[in-house]
Amino acid sequence: MNSSRSEYSNGIPARSVPKSRQETSSKAPELNAIEGRNWLIHRHFTRKEFGICKILIQEELERTRGKQEFANYIQGLILRHEGKIQESLECFQICHSLHPKNVDYIKQVARSLFLLGLHNLALEAYLDAQQISEVPDWDIFYNLGECWLRLGEHTKAKESLRQAVQLGHHERCYVALASIYKLEGDTQSAIEIYKAAVESAPDSAQLATALGLLYLEEGKYQHALEKLGGALARDPQYAQALLAAGAMMQNHSDYDVALSKYKIAAQSWPESPALWNNVGMCFYGKKKYVASLSCLKRAHYLSPLDWDILFNLGLVHMATQQYASAFHFLSAATNLRPAHAGTFLLVAISLRHLDDPDNASEAFKQASLLAPLDASIPLNYAVFLESQGDLDGAALQLERFQELAQVTPRLSPELVQTATQLSKLLSNRLRSRNGSKTDENEMSSKSKLAIEVEAQVRVRNHPVDSSPEGETPNSMADDEV
Amino acid sequence: MNPPRNLEYEQLWLNAHTDTRAAVYTFSSCIALADLNADGDFKLIVADLGTGSTNVKLKVYKGTSLHSETALLDVPTGVVSFYMDNSEPRMPAIAVASGSNIYIYKNMRPYFKFSLPSMDVNPMEKDLWLQVRDDQMEVPVLVELLNNLNSEIGFAQLSTQSQHLLALDPLNAASFVQLYSKNPLKRQTVVTCITTLKKALADEKAVSCLVVGTESGEILVLDPEAFTILEKIKINNQDSSTIIVPAVLSAFGLHAVEFRIIAACRDGSLRVARRGWTESKLLVQLPAQPVAMTVSPENASITIALMNQTLQCISKKGKLQWVVTLPAAACALCPIPLPHQSTTLIAVSLNGGLLQLYNGRQLVDVIKATQSVSGLAFGKFGQEENALIMFTVDGSLLVKILKRTAHFNLQGGGTSANIVPAVAQQIKLQIPKKTRLFLDQTMRERDNCVMMHRTFQRDLFQLRVDVARACVKALQSCNNPISLEGAEPVKLSAQVLGLGPLFKMVIMLQNISASTLIQDVGILFHFDDKMYTMEKPFINVPMLVPGVEYPFETMIRNISELALSDQIRVLVVREGQSQPLLAAIINMPVCDLLGMV
Repeated sequence: MNSSRSEYSNGIPARSVPKSRQETSSKAPELNAIEGRNWLIHRHFTRKEFGICKILIQEELERTRGKQEFANYIQGLILRHEGKIQESLECFQICHSLHPKNVDYIKQVARSLFLLGLHNLALEAYLDAQQISEVPDWDIFYNLGECWLRLGEHTKAKESLRQAVQLGHHERCYVALASIYKLEGDTQSAIEIYKAAVESAPDSAQLATALGLLYLEEGKYQHALEKLGGALARDPQYAQALLAAGAMMQNHSDYDVALSKYKIAAQSWPESPALWNNVGMCFYGKKKYVASLSCLKRAHYLSPLDWDILFNLGLVHMATQQYASAFHFLSAATNLRPAHAGTFLLVAISLRHLDDPDNASEAFKQASLLAPLDASIPLNYAVFLESQGDLDGAALQLERFQELAQVTPRLSPELVQTATQLSKLLSNRLRSRNGSKTDENEMSSKSKLAIEVEAQVRVRNHPVDSSPEGETPNSMADDEV
Repeated sequence: MNPPRNLEYEQLWLNAHTDTRAAVYTFSSCIALADLNADGDFKLIVADLGTGSTNVKLKVYKGTSLHSETALLDVPTGVVSFYMDNSEPRMPAIAVASGSNIYIYKNMRPYFKFSLPSMDVNPMEKDLWLQVRDDQMEVPVLVELLNNLNSEIGFAQLSTQSQHLLALDPLNAASFVQLYSKNPLKRQTVVTCITTLKKALADEKAVSCLVVGTESGEILVLDPEAFTILEKIKINNQDSSTIIVPAVLSAFGLHAVEFRIIAACRDGSLRVARRGWTESKLLVQLPAQPVAMTVSPENASITIALMNQTLQCISKKGKLQWVVTLPAAACALCPIPLPHQSTTLIAVSLNGGLLQLYNGRQLVDVIKATQSVSGLAFGKFGQEENALIMFTVDGSLLVKILKRTAHFNLQGGGTSANIVPAVAQQIKLQIPKKTRLFLDQTMRERDNCVMMHRTFQRDLFQLRVDVARACVKALQSCNNPISLEGAEPVKLSAQVLGLGPLFKMVIMLQNISASTLIQDVGILFHFDDKMYTMEKPFINVPMLVPGVEYPFETMIRNISELALSDQIRVLVVREGQSQPLLAAIINMPVCDLLGMV
């Protein structure tokens, strides 16, 4: 029975606790197995007691002059957990040199390389691991896929990930594979992958939500609602599903239901700009402008460069007749996405109220240039020109509107009504150009009643914004010359 | 997760005993409750790891007092109590697994020591040691050859003796070899976990086998009387070179009839072995490493706490049944059988001292301890049927007794799915409040929006003009710390050290061009000579190699009688060029008045 550490402390560097027992034996003492305390290190490691763990590892490494595989291995894991990737890589490399045939060590080396951004080296390491491992390992294939993806080799990545999916039916593999398809714009394939994933893991709220969001993108609202509902049945507090479901309700003007969804989501996700944006627009829909503004301002604070939020802020400010603020947010929005006609339309209208007809007219022109098929732009332009006294121009725009109105399906009745009012007014005024001016004021005051714009409310169902298309540095010129 | 009825929880448990000075360092696996003397008075047997290497003891608590202490030789891995034979009175034996051995205590006296069988030693290694013993080989040659062997078969495959030799300082190698070359070569493995398995009868006091997991990736089932190996199950496949080590074991069934052994392994796999198998089968690959595990005796479902702060339940077929996210990392876990409510709760101790009791996936009770509970056991203690033993990480012992009238509200909250809508009704959106002032401002904007807009646009324009002018001015006067013009892109940064009146100024110059060298430049200081004197008003700069930062130092003394400070201009100039490459203005700190005196 081994008893005395003091006995062979002449041979072995004494443990860090040198107070060993004083017993002595005459024969050569039995040697402790070198892995004797692996279980203790492991237990402390799994309990996340890294402090004790590190002391134990230090002792073991001193005792064995760094030859202890397991201690090195756990040290690597702890270091990686602490974000010291380079050091962890060194630990795993020691493990690998101590036992070159161990697949796990190679995988860990590769993982550290991957985390360091050295995807080429990681890929090589994973390929090595794949060669050594006798049984095909889904984890290796999954990571190979990730490496290929980072190196821009989509076909190879897909191939590896498909193998990983076949081997293991693991959620991560499905998600990675689907995200490649999404990256390539192949939504249909991504949906197929997620379908298979949901089948293999019917309990996962994440997968169901991801599938629901894809359906939403495709415009299959019924399927989307089904999947999102399913996700919420499994995890009623899953914020992503709540947000998407809420956005769908909101699009159907069911503001109270949407708000109740957002309420729950806000508990777990209080700092999501998309969520606060949607809440704000719910209040806008309910005509509670002050609440709407404060929610949108919070969203704006959380994500100052978000185009949707800026646009919505402009819209709500116009509703409260704060045209100066509206212009401020809208011009910021045009900077972020200079190709969006709706923003220019709003800019133009706010400029009209700010008594800046030249720039307003420029903005109208820009808007109709960007969206030549949008019927609401010429109508608004016509209303504006009419108020400026440019009756011929107004008549021209009205004509354009009527042309467009014939090709536009489902035109809002309000627009048509405004158009008829305007055409009456115009004909009256054209007639009265030569005649009396008395009833003119009366009529023009009436024209102000006309609604000005049918602006689309921006509701977000994705928490992560798809980046705005093409940011050109400066397009302010339009409205502030 | 917020327990809504905290007060109600506490009433279910009585504090029976608290000993904050017990100073016991232990784990759940090292705690056993047993009727040691067959008198119906259950004792608490706990293996204390001491300092982690010394002062290791086996302690027995009778009631609230320490009954006996036995010194152990090495750090204990696990302690189990089991019945070895059918002799009367029915006194259980205690098995303490420690290192490569299992020590059996009967009546708290050492009874038997079982050493794990030695594993096969590589024949080449055996040969090497034989040659050394017969003095046919020098020690350094042995070490070198062993090193070669090491890289071939891996460190873990060497014998214990060789491992020690390789880990040794080369200076001591000779004496080590002399001491050990006569010993037979052994490759000894270590116990990593231990549990029991009833042999032939399911009775509470029936004879049990020991089930031992080893570092070499094997599960051994030992006969309780003869200590022969009844079953030897390899965890991994025969042909795989990677050793999978069990971390937690759980066994149920009867050895003679049918049994299952569940092993949670260090690679995060959950494996199962049954009667007659020589290899275990992968049940499921867990998403994280296992911390603690228990298997329900009724439906064989496995409840396991993982390192990723979750508690998972897995059916015996390996299907994930539910996952609960824990508020903190799990430390230990133990089942709490409640026969009167015909259910078994799972107690999970969390980092930070919280103890949560789950019935299935539903939280039914919360107990707070002062520190994280490291060792947890539930069972008969003393005369009490339902005692919960807790050893915290700071070594204190807490014993709580479940009230006989205790009734857990198992339907209480319903499943979490039902709670949410009810709670959601009460949740209020935290909408930021707006003040009266905000509304007033809104009104003002409504009335004066045109004027506000114009003022704003004019000021914005003015601001842009000012910025542009300042920018042009800085460029023209080279008054910026980075010069990009011409062939000399240089970056300058300065630092003033000291409290005064003596300061040290450190100027850092860096050539930020890709490849061109910069030569013939100097640093010139421009300052008020009534205020400051300078040790080196001009510093000659050597050739600047791209990328390297060069420090230049000079001492500055404030000679002004008044405690005033001034600006010093640093100019980087080039020989034969009137315009400086770049310039910086340094605001000198006010000097310490006491220093002036």
